[in-house]
Amino acid sequence: MHLPDGLLSAPVCLGGYGLTGLATWYCLRQIQRDPDVSRNMPKASLLTAAFFVASSIHIPIPPTSVHLVLNGLLGTVLGYYAFPAILIGLLFQAVILGHGGMTVLGVNAVMMGVPALVAYQAFQLRRFWRWGSDRSRLGIFAFLAGALGLGLAALIFFVLVMTNIPAAMDAQAERTAIYGLTLAHIPLMLIEGGFTAMLVLFLHQVKPDLLGHHGTP
Amino acid sequence: MKLDIDEYAHLQSPIHAWQPRYKLIGLGALMFAVAMVETLWLVPVVMGLTALLYGLSRLPWIYWLQRLRYPSFFLLGVILVLPLMSGETVLWQWGPLTLRQEGCWAVVLIVGRFLSIITLSLLLFGTAPFLQTVKAMRSLGLPTTLTDMLLLSYRYLYEIADQLLRMKQAMRLRGFGYAPTRRIPLIPQRRDLQVFASLAGTLLIRSYEQSERVYQAMRLRGYGHACSPLAARDRPRLDSWSAIATGLSLTLAIALVATEYWIGMKA
Repeated sequence: MHLPDGLLSAPVCLGGYGLTGLATWYCLRQIQRDPDVSRNMPKASLLTAAFFVASSIHIPIPPTSVHLVLNGLLGTVLGYYAFPAILIGLLFQAVILGHGGMTVLGVNAVMMGVPALVAYQAFQLRRFWRWGSDRSRLGIFAFLAGALGLGLAALIFFVLVMTNIPAAMDAQAERTAIYGLTLAHIPLMLIEGGFTAMLVLFLHQVKPDLLGHHGTP
Repeated sequence: MKLDIDEYAHLQSPIHAWQPRYKLIGLGALMFAVAMVETLWLVPVVMGLTALLYGLSRLPWIYWLQRLRYPSFFLLGVILVLPLMSGETVLWQWGPLTLRQEGCWAVVLIVGRFLSIITLSLLLFGTAPFLQTVKAMRSLGLPTTLTDMLLLSYRYLYEIADQLLRMKQAMRLRGFGYAPTRRIPLIPQRRDLQVFASLAGTLLIRSYEQSERVYQAMRLRGYGHACSPLAARDRPRLDSWSAIATGLSLTLAIALVATEYWIGMKA
């Protein structure tokens, strides 16, 4: 789910770069508050590469298969490092695989990165939730973060695609298509949420350090 | 996964001789100028221009075709959907299928811009070692944290991709995916999801543990102790060819934007 080069007009692309600049500045400022940036930076970098590779895993859904977006998971594990990590991952995808593109890098980073930050905040809400065991809280909020990450990204994607097609479309048809396509993503949100919850529970069991403190790795 | 983007960076051509820092400015401006094109007759002009630049770079056409394999699904989607969905002027009708003129022109515009921009991207990243391009980005003001993350991620990308390949092979050798199970259409099996979650989790844990070793090695080599003078050192003196190439590409970009604006004003 990447917007490709050539679909959006230059002002939208430049707007995307502007918003990405702002979000990157904010995240880097939060990262600088981390008392051990030089220690966490290599961790975030290697995890960025691992996420890039892990997103190529295809989940079999008969008769086909889907590959996961993992932006909610990135937010959950990396916290504020998630936005730079997504920016880097998208650059690799544009340059290496031809997914996305250079002019739309900013727009794609906002589309994937802002939902990742929302997912991170959603995952943090578990601290205020009193009911259930630690494990069930972790699973529920990881599910929420994974599903929210994909759902928000899909919503932004369809709004951008529908409103930027050069030839005019009927406004009502456009609205219906956006609602329809976003609702069609609900099964994928459930899969992404379920996968995120399973993975977070696995990490909690095997390597709890990886889930970090205050969202930093 | 074919990861090497700079496999032809060693070739000799005018585009290869263009210093990465200035190439980034020149080709970046051209990319955005192409993204601004809204007029149909400018599409063959920009496509011709990018084809000429690609020819000048001496990059093999197979490299271009290989990089187009993944995005071609997008192109197919645009070609199949837009002419049938978008616009009001009916060109041809057969039962429920209606071919619309505005949709067809939209396809030409989107595909033309897409092919031109992707070709320019390949010229930017395919004609210099990736490390040089990242250094050029840093010298243009990209924050140090981002460039460090970019270089480290790129350095370990190949290794982690290899690890995943080995783990998938081990899973297959242990029989994963071969057991005859009844699969319900469009619903993933819980066990499959669990196995893939463990696979991705193991990959993350291995990378995390590797990052500890990488950090220790970096500390031993002085990382985090002093500001690196790299950015200043990487700002090379502008040579005459790079100045000409950057000037030409900026002029072309401005000319494209001005033509588009002038046509828009006339319309």
